Amino acid sequence: MSEPIESFGKHLKAIKTGLKYLISPNRITVYYPEEYIELPTGYRGLIRYYPEKCIQCSLCAMICPAGAMKMYRTREDKKGRPGVNYQRCIFCGFCVDICPQNALEMTKVHDVAFKQLEEMIFTPEKFSQEPVSPVVAEGAKKLKTVIDEERGLRHEPA
Amino acid sequence: MSTSSENGVVYSRLIAKEGDESIYELFIGPQHPSSGHMRFIVRLEGDIIVSVDPDIGYVHRTMEKLAEGREVIKAIPLLERMTIIDSHNVTLGLVLALEKLLDVEAPPRAQYLRVLLSEINRISSHLYGLGIAGIMLNHSTMFMWAFGDREVWIQLAEDLTGARLTHTYSVPGGVRRDMPQAFPERAEKAIRYMERRLKDYMEIFLDNPQVRSRYEGVGVLKKSEASRLGIVGPNLRASGVKYDARLAEGYAAYPDLEFEIPMREDGDCLARMQVRVEEIRQSMSLIRQVIKKLPQGPIFAEKYTRLLPPAIRQQVAQTGQVKFPGIFASLKLPEGDAVSRVEMGHGEIFYHVTGAGSTKPYRLRVVTPSFRNVILFRYLMPGHRFMDFPAIYGSLDYFPPEGDR
Amino acid sequence: MRVMNIEGIITWLLKIVLSPQVFAPIVFPGLLTALMVLLIIIWAERKIAARVQMRVGPLYVTRRLGGVLQMLADGARYMFQEFIIPDSADKTPFVVAPVMALTLAIVPFAFIPSAPGFVPIKSQYSLPAVLALISTIPLSVMLMGWASNNKFAIQGAVREAFMGLAYEAVVFLSALAMGLLYGTLDLEEAVTKQWLPGLLLNPIAAFTFFVGMVMSAGKLPFDIVEGEQEIVAGPYVEYSGIIFGIGMGLAYLKLYSLTLIYSILFLSGWNPVITPLYSIYPGLAGIFLFIKSFLLMLFIVFLRAVYGRYRLDQALRAGWRVYLPLSLIAVLLSIFLRVVNIV
Repeated sequence: MSEPIESFGKHLKAIKTGLKYLISPNRITVYYPEEYIELPTGYRGLIRYYPEKCIQCSLCAMICPAGAMKMYRTREDKKGRPGVNYQRCIFCGFCVDICPQNALEMTKVHDVAFKQLEEMIFTPEKFSQEPVSPVVAEGAKKLKTVIDEERGLRHEPA
Repeated sequence: MSTSSENGVVYSRLIAKEGDESIYELFIGPQHPSSGHMRFIVRLEGDIIVSVDPDIGYVHRTMEKLAEGREVIKAIPLLERMTIIDSHNVTLGLVLALEKLLDVEAPPRAQYLRVLLSEINRISSHLYGLGIAGIMLNHSTMFMWAFGDREVWIQLAEDLTGARLTHTYSVPGGVRRDMPQAFPERAEKAIRYMERRLKDYMEIFLDNPQVRSRYEGVGVLKKSEASRLGIVGPNLRASGVKYDARLAEGYAAYPDLEFEIPMREDGDCLARMQVRVEEIRQSMSLIRQVIKKLPQGPIFAEKYTRLLPPAIRQQVAQTGQVKFPGIFASLKLPEGDAVSRVEMGHGEIFYHVTGAGSTKPYRLRVVTPSFRNVILFRYLMPGHRFMDFPAIYGSLDYFPPEGDR
Repeated sequence: MRVMNIEGIITWLLKIVLSPQVFAPIVFPGLLTALMVLLIIIWAERKIAARVQMRVGPLYVTRRLGGVLQMLADGARYMFQEFIIPDSADKTPFVVAPVMALTLAIVPFAFIPSAPGFVPIKSQYSLPAVLALISTIPLSVMLMGWASNNKFAIQGAVREAFMGLAYEAVVFLSALAMGLLYGTLDLEEAVTKQWLPGLLLNPIAAFTFFVGMVMSAGKLPFDIVEGEQEIVAGPYVEYSGIIFGIGMGLAYLKLYSLTLIYSILFLSGWNPVITPLYSIYPGLAGIFLFIKSFLLMLFIVFLRAVYGRYRLDQALRAGWRVYLPLSLIAVLLSIFLRVVNIV
């Protein structure tokens, strides 16, 4: 006879847990186009190229696992300068890690959108420009993630 | 046909009746809200399942063949995409095999950092499994909570490696990034939060009498069957076999750390779920130990850092972000084989790499845990009712992209 | 010769519209209110589930009101979707069955009183009439499943047949227990006889009717008929367009009728009556009845965030082995209370 009563008690406990979160919810939603999350240092986002530091060793193109880095040769270049194909890039960061002159750097921009597939193939000139996130350019509110003991993930204004 | 009923499950010799006229065939095909990336041909007699035929291969991406055509360092991000939710454990096996072939050893700090990320990924993978098991029972709260809490661990992994899921953290010789300054206290807060949440999970999911009645006594995998069929992972440990590749192989820093292997004897769905929850607790204690015992030192092997110019070496020591030496773009694999085993969230993964003296491997063979667990669909299901099918599927934590490679 | 002037026609029309026979089934608490309730309760279900589950739920449709008109947007989308009738389906039942189900879900409002003395069809047997009408809805769902000519639909229809048998007896017996307790099968008199709410007089009947109600409306933990994880959408799988919307809303309409009956039988109906409203228009005095049933619906919809789904044979076993004997005990309890002259 005690089993149905015990299970009824457990039903009530489950309902109580649900009610607890109904009354004080712990949402982690970020209202994206109006707010955005500031990414930590070392985040592997879009890559930026510094042509003045490059020595044209083409190690980045050799190590790229997806074949996204290609060298663009003009007449006077030794082996050419790298351009990236974002249709293929997997943002692994091997090219950044292998470049002996620190000519490549991963920025914190991750949410660039392209309207045509051809725009995703960057020549070295476009590669040297700083990528700009459209949300940041429009002045969205910046948030940072804070890990909280009671509520898990919280987003506070940075 | 003898029938015996326990808990409403009818065991009978129905398998001999496959092909009979009264058998009702249902295709739980790839276009189904909860079949995953695969197809099941389920044969039913009334409400009792007579046989289930898993039809895998819908997400086969020919990873082993692709790895033969490219340099071996490029195989690391490739193979990571097999089980993207658990990405460090998947590549750790390959990196250990390569380290054996290339005769290089990672320094102790790198070994501890590998354990750190492996355990974070294990928690992430088990939460994913709990979420899928929840939604298979239409318990949407467990699903959302598991995936929402996974976000905390993914943030920690993002702090450590720079990417949320595709970490590509271990390379032959060590790891790529050092632990940031604020990491230990964020990890401690995350662990305390997760301990609190696990209590909530027990109250609303695993101790919920309704969920218990769906899971208790359903899909019982006996100990002898489990070892005969070659099952791995929490499915094996829930049936009473104490096997964990972390203990059996003793890779990374696991021999120096203390942890228990949770086990259950029942072998039913509830036991599998409970083993996963216990493993989350053990992983959290492992993370605490790693953060406390982390030794100082370099994170990349001396054999490779001495190939870097001194200015770069100093930059590595300062920023904590490793630079590869130039030979990484064309690492030559010597002739020979190497074998390694790693314990993923889903079970044990096995790598066999054969080098032939060139930069590209001659053969790269990987046996994933989900590939070994697929056979359970054929052996566990018959005799159960049709509505037990999603319950058992959720509790097995089968991941189709990993099973198909 | 009657004089036809505009004023006469308007007063005549108003008299018809505001009569109980037209106002109750069509405006309040009938068709229009039921559709409004459908709109709000589905939104409320999604918002409640989202609050428990660390999410926000529907928000962007009418952002400042928190996304209340989301279901209007969904309904508009269903309106524009093509209604495809498969070649292999049985065409007439395929189209007629959902419409029949919707009609059967609305017809009970002809018997449910919403204020003292305000009922479209005054009858001594309004309680069994309402329950009989509600219990025919599973037949049309089975017709939907059969006409679809799809294995998953048949599975869903068979599940509906099983579940219908399981919960109908429970609901009927619990209502009968209250009928015995009050000594009348008329819903209007049942309210006047409740000097204490029926919940406190016969708690066993309240509990079993509650569980039977959840089973009948197909809400978690008993949403076995539309088991998405096994049989896609059950009997509704071949439907598209507005008929699919009707099918999905059908369960909520059933829930609405049943919660109205629950409030009348167990929560002392429209007491306390707001007499000023009664003098404006008698139908509006029953606003408390509506509020009580709406709150009860919100609680039942909240259970979605707590439970998963029961297995079919477990639900049937619960219905036959646990709740049927409990409802028989409830009948005995009300006989006992009647003998002891508590009511």
